[in-house]
Amino acid sequence: MTDVRAKIISVFDDVISETGATQKVNLEDGTVLLESGLDSLGFAILVARLDEELGYDPFSLSSTAFYPTTFGQFVAFYEDNRPR
Amino acid sequence: MKTIALADLAAEAAGLPQANVLFSTAGPWTGETLRQAGRLLPAAVLAEAGDVVLCLADPLKLALALFALHGRAERMVLISPATAAADAADLLGRLGPCTILSDGAQGWMERGTPVVWDGDVTLPGASPVTAGPEAVAETRWVFATSGTTGRPKLVEHSLSSLTRTAKRGRGEGAALRWGQLFELSRFAGIQVFLQGLMGGGGLVLPDTRWPLRDQLAFLAAHDCNALSGTPTLWRKILMTPDRPRLSLRQVTLGGEVADDAILQSLKREFPEARIVHIYASTEAGAAFSVKDGKAGFPASFVDEPPGGIRLKIHDDRLFVENGDVSPSYIGSDQRFADEEGFIDTGDVVERRGDRFLFRGRANGAINIGGNKLFPEEVERMLVTHPEVRLARVSARPNPITGAVVVAEVVPAIEVPDTRPTPPRFSPIAAHICNAGRFRRSCGWWTASRPRRPARCRGAFREDSAGYRRNTWPRTCDRHASCERRIECRRHRTAGDGGFGGLAREPAGSRAFPAL
Repeated sequence: MTDVRAKIISVFDDVISETGATQKVNLEDGTVLLESGLDSLGFAILVARLDEELGYDPFSLSSTAFYPTTFGQFVAFYEDNRPR
Repeated sequence: MKTIALADLAAEAAGLPQANVLFSTAGPWTGETLRQAGRLLPAAVLAEAGDVVLCLADPLKLALALFALHGRAERMVLISPATAAADAADLLGRLGPCTILSDGAQGWMERGTPVVWDGDVTLPGASPVTAGPEAVAETRWVFATSGTTGRPKLVEHSLSSLTRTAKRGRGEGAALRWGQLFELSRFAGIQVFLQGLMGGGGLVLPDTRWPLRDQLAFLAAHDCNALSGTPTLWRKILMTPDRPRLSLRQVTLGGEVADDAILQSLKREFPEARIVHIYASTEAGAAFSVKDGKAGFPASFVDEPPGGIRLKIHDDRLFVENGDVSPSYIGSDQRFADEEGFIDTGDVVERRGDRFLFRGRANGAINIGGNKLFPEEVERMLVTHPEVRLARVSARPNPITGAVVVAEVVPAIEVPDTRPTPPRFSPIAAHICNAGRFRRSCGWWTASRPRRPARCRGAFREDSAGYRRNTWPRTCDRHASCERRIECRRHRTAGDGGFGGLAREPAGSRAFPAL
């Protein structure tokens, strides 16, 4: 598991726990983001927290707009747009 | 002047008496069946001709109430069921005696005459064609808005002002069939509702309490080809995998600033669609629309405004003139239009070449997915938590919801220097949400770790009134005996609403504990 993926899972778990959800979601590549327990507001917070933890926001860095639908796409988006 | 019933307007636009004008979860409705909508409402509501408050979670019931009461009630007041009880009671206090139609009783409704509409709606069976009750009143439509200071206010519109920008159908066919995803009790929702009815192609009304994918499936099943949503909702649609394919000819955005990213993404997703973003506010009505696929609006709109409104820019703020809207809030002397009829929208704009771009709210309000709140309100609420000594709230741009709320807090408890992790602030989130006002609209915040200041510095300055005003107070963890140790107080003041951290006591404040 890459460190980016691990960090995303860690922050995701934090954000999910703050919603009061008790059931842990098993995040796999095919997991649909909007069915993972977070709504669009939750994702906004996830992206904001990842910006703090990782130091970058791929949505701002990417030259084309992209809206990931699965967890795998989300992680790949972060890995592909990681500043070198 | 005789008022035309909504059902008649819709039937006229559709052109055929048997044409379906509303596609709902209970089935399709023609103009004729909608004329009988009054028979489905509780009789106690129809007996009243004064003000009727509509607080209905079921969008079909709300739609039918609008059909039944427009032309009968003096005013229809739309209050979302998600409105906090305190705010709803406050709004009700500005109305006179009224009937409140809901699908679930709430305590604040006892201030009026509550009527509960139980059970599910079923489509009326075939009946002899009869004319509906004659429309006798020029019913005014009243909406709640946060206005310029955060607390909800009531704004009154006529049907004329609500439909000023609606494209009217003349029974010509090939009209757009609109989908209703906006909550119907909000101004933006009514705009879609009326456009759907008056355009002639009909309105598809899913249950907005369903999951988004199911709503999209319902829209697709009923050949919806025009859809309006906030940029945040559109992003959510684009994040829905295996989404039902909609063959959209019109995509409309509103309620938040539409950035180039979402506009370009929608163009790729719906290549046959015309992409339009609408600028509107509850006070100004629907002001103008932008169809060129770019963020902001052309600078030429100031001199050549589209659609019969007037625009002006003053102090980097956008002003709009709309003669169809009452220029003051109900129950208040507060006017929001100047002598020329221009309304200060409160939106800050910046000119870039031949365009104006939206930069945010002049009063600092934060727009999260179309919901606005004020940092000062959140700050005041945060400091009521026993673990919070100070708070500063701001907005951070966000690619999903436009912005998120960020709160930086200084805890009231002592945190040893060696402790690397901050106290958990999740209970604070619950504290604010439990306060009721911010259940969904405030969203969340990221509570940063307490700052460790590099050096102590003077953080006070006196304003002209002699008050010591806190800037961002920092504590000094190295110079406990330093004369320049920063002192500050919690932002708990009476009378001024706690804005800006003005301390009304003379200087001589408590020492701030070292973090």
